[in-house]
Amino acid sequence: MFENQNFIREFADIFEVDPSLIKPDFSLIDNNWDSLAIISTIALLDEHFGVIVDGKKLTNCTKASDIAALFSI
Amino acid sequence: MVFAKIKHIASFLPNDILDNNMLAQTFPEWDAAKISEKTGINKRFIAGKNETALDLAINAAKNLFTKYQINKNEIDFILLCTQSPDYFLPTSACILQNKLEIPTTAGALDFNLGCSGYVYGLSMAKSLIETNQAKNVLLVTSETYSKYIKADDKSVRTIFGDGASATLVAASDDKSEQISKTLFGSDGSGFDKLIVKNGASKNATGPHELFMDGPEIFNFTLASVPVALQNFLNRENLAIDDIDAFVFHQANSFMLEALRKKCKIPKEKFVLKLAEFGNTVSSTIPMTIESALVSGELKAGQKVCLVGFGVGYSWAVNLITL
Repeated sequence: MFENQNFIREFADIFEVDPSLIKPDFSLIDNNWDSLAIISTIALLDEHFGVIVDGKKLTNCTKASDIAALFSI
Repeated sequence: MVFAKIKHIASFLPNDILDNNMLAQTFPEWDAAKISEKTGINKRFIAGKNETALDLAINAAKNLFTKYQINKNEIDFILLCTQSPDYFLPTSACILQNKLEIPTTAGALDFNLGCSGYVYGLSMAKSLIETNQAKNVLLVTSETYSKYIKADDKSVRTIFGDGASATLVAASDDKSEQISKTLFGSDGSGFDKLIVKNGASKNATGPHELFMDGPEIFNFTLASVPVALQNFLNRENLAIDDIDAFVFHQANSFMLEALRKKCKIPKEKFVLKLAEFGNTVSSTIPMTIESALVSGELKAGQKVCLVGFGVGYSWAVNLITL
């Protein structure tokens, strides 16, 4: 997930942060991890990796590596 | 063989407007530009305190009759799609018959569907007409979801607006099908993802509040809608290229863009009108068609694919000739 630069750029857009900040320990909960951010992430994961993630599991993620761990991506 | 056709569409929006600047005052973490960017909606219309979905329905039908000089004595069936009825019983469509002074020889029924409702309604109107049980069906969609929404619920307040549409579906002189067979879908496993839990028989007391699990609704949509559309195209032996335009339920621009990309529909064929009125539930599809006919984005004779999806879960796809 962290190697896909297109994904990282769009993922950073969701939080309105610089893509360089998107590392495994990037805190979701400190960056407005609300329903819109979660929905945006669902769309990105589907578009870039072809996976549709359970909303509840995604909601429970606290940092970026938690998302990657859901799919081993 | 008689073929049913959409003859005319009109709509009605209540007076009160909720725009993005007003929402930004309630939700300071979002400014007006961000609300517009994320939802694709500039304003929503909100029914007055004593204005119900039936009132909106009456006004939409009156607009239809006046604008297109329709003789209400020729209406022989009323279909009303609403999840905001005036009463548990009687059926709002019967009251609508009386208020509009449509002949008592007309049939009338309500059906309880949300965002898929218009496509289901067209299917029922087609069935009534093409089996010679009716000639002029008044299909009305009307909702006042705002009455179910808490003032501090950002996720739904930014999206939903009130409004009603009225469509005359009538027997036509055309020699071919003008409203295709519909592809349907239902999945009640998602019943609690978009729900007003209280007020009916199961939970008689408690606040009548709309709950939406946005991420799960989004997942359902991504998983179900592209498959349903593809199944419809396969069944009808059609390709995206054969269709002039697509009118999806106008949920929010973010969801629509994700669906458009996944369905591989070119931007120029994908009609978006929700900026003008928000997510008016079962009325978004007819309101979009009406608005796009005025702007020239849609034209008479075009083949338009309609895709409704949402609360239930429920979905439906068909093809109409304008």
